[in-house]
Amino acid sequence: MVHLSSLLLKHYHGGHVVIRLALGGCTNRPFYRIVAAYNKRARDSKHIEQLGSFDPLPNIYNEKLVSLNFERIKYWIACGAHPTKPVARLLGLSGFFPLHPMTVTKAERLRKTAGQKEALGAPGEVSEEASESKPETA
Amino acid sequence: MAAFRITRRLIRDVELKSTVLFRCARRTLCSESANSSPTDGRSPQFSDEEVQNILTKITGLDLQKAFRPVKQELKPPTYRLMTDAQLAQATQKAMQIAKERLKMPPVLPERKPIDDVLAEDKFLEGLETVKYVFTDITYNIPHRERFIVIREPGGTLRKATWEERDRMVQLYFPREGRRLTPPPVFKEENLMVVFLQDRHEDILDLCLVQFEPDSPDYRRVHNLTYEDIGKHGKYDLLRSTRHFGGMVWYLVNGKKIDGLLIDMIQRDLIQDTASVIHLYHMLHPRGSSAKEAGEQQAQGIDLVKIFARTESQKAGYVELALQAYQETSTERSAQSSSP
Repeated sequence: MVHLSSLLLKHYHGGHVVIRLALGGCTNRPFYRIVAAYNKRARDSKHIEQLGSFDPLPNIYNEKLVSLNFERIKYWIACGAHPTKPVARLLGLSGFFPLHPMTVTKAERLRKTAGQKEALGAPGEVSEEASESKPETA
Repeated sequence: MAAFRITRRLIRDVELKSTVLFRCARRTLCSESANSSPTDGRSPQFSDEEVQNILTKITGLDLQKAFRPVKQELKPPTYRLMTDAQLAQATQKAMQIAKERLKMPPVLPERKPIDDVLAEDKFLEGLETVKYVFTDITYNIPHRERFIVIREPGGTLRKATWEERDRMVQLYFPREGRRLTPPPVFKEENLMVVFLQDRHEDILDLCLVQFEPDSPDYRRVHNLTYEDIGKHGKYDLLRSTRHFGGMVWYLVNGKKIDGLLIDMIQRDLIQDTASVIHLYHMLHPRGSSAKEAGEQQAQGIDLVKIFARTESQKAGYVELALQAYQETSTERSAQSSSP
């Protein structure tokens, strides 16, 4: 059975299926479920199928645990589901999708700012050393 | 009366161990186990039919010990009224279930560590400070073939190591009785305490539930247990249990069967001693004892005598035990024939 929501469900005009993160957990303890749901539904309410989970807080082994049901994800993408950006990022990091362009862009931006900080720090260090040596000599 | 008790336990027992064993056997038996035969030219493996037959014969089938009361939830016992024929049938069924419970866990070679890198993306370095572990939770694939990959903070995408795999599989597909981190019983010092209390069977059952059969921890615990049993001669602890076959296999491979032979002779199990030495000859066919036995085509007690003469380390003790056995057997035959 293929879910052609735009044809069958009259009250979901123009809606489509998305694969997104639904938030759960408690205060100061988020936990996301990777879920196939209709676009117009509330973020945490009734979904069509749960496809996995994502725990954003690292555990004692310094790991963030992500589970993905690849067979069902393949099915939903074949039915025309749209993954959201965080889900696409996770799938890219896992190797299922190619790496998301924003991941690459963020890494490059980070490296550029780190390089700029170093460059600012280096002349700052040179001037600090000069000012340190002057009071010593003086 | 005893038969009633046994059948009552049969009806009442929770099938925890047998389901665990069934799942263990289904998931972890190697594919090569069914097709190998000793005539292939390589040394006989644990899973060969002949070897398994010998080991099951030696293990014995003590119904009293197999259906010992196991710690479980208290339920009121169910009583049934049976004819003699029905009782015989129920005893047969009990024997079959005991045979299943006595099925030996597989002895596999140790697994080789996984270090397979799928992708190296150096430009991702510095983006994250933690590892991401991606587990595939598709339902219908065996756990050995599941994809579990890790994205390191340095950007490399690699396959997970065996310990990480075990942990993830236990997390998403929990198995009853298994814990995420192995309990501290399995450390060396604590194992010594367990051995002093003579609870080798319990620790081996725990080990079977907790570890995979080809993991190094499983092998280490089993080897330590077998060494301890061999050192103190406590062979009877494992006699009618699942682990007896594995213990005999380990001892025969390590050529440490003298204590076992003495124990068996003292309990008048001469057929079992002959089987053990037959297994020994199958595994070490180029030793002096095997050659002599082949020349003389010895059977039964003669095999034991040849072994004691040629390759045994405690030759004196074995011959002494044999002498004592022969004296008692002649006395018994004299007594039975005289009146």
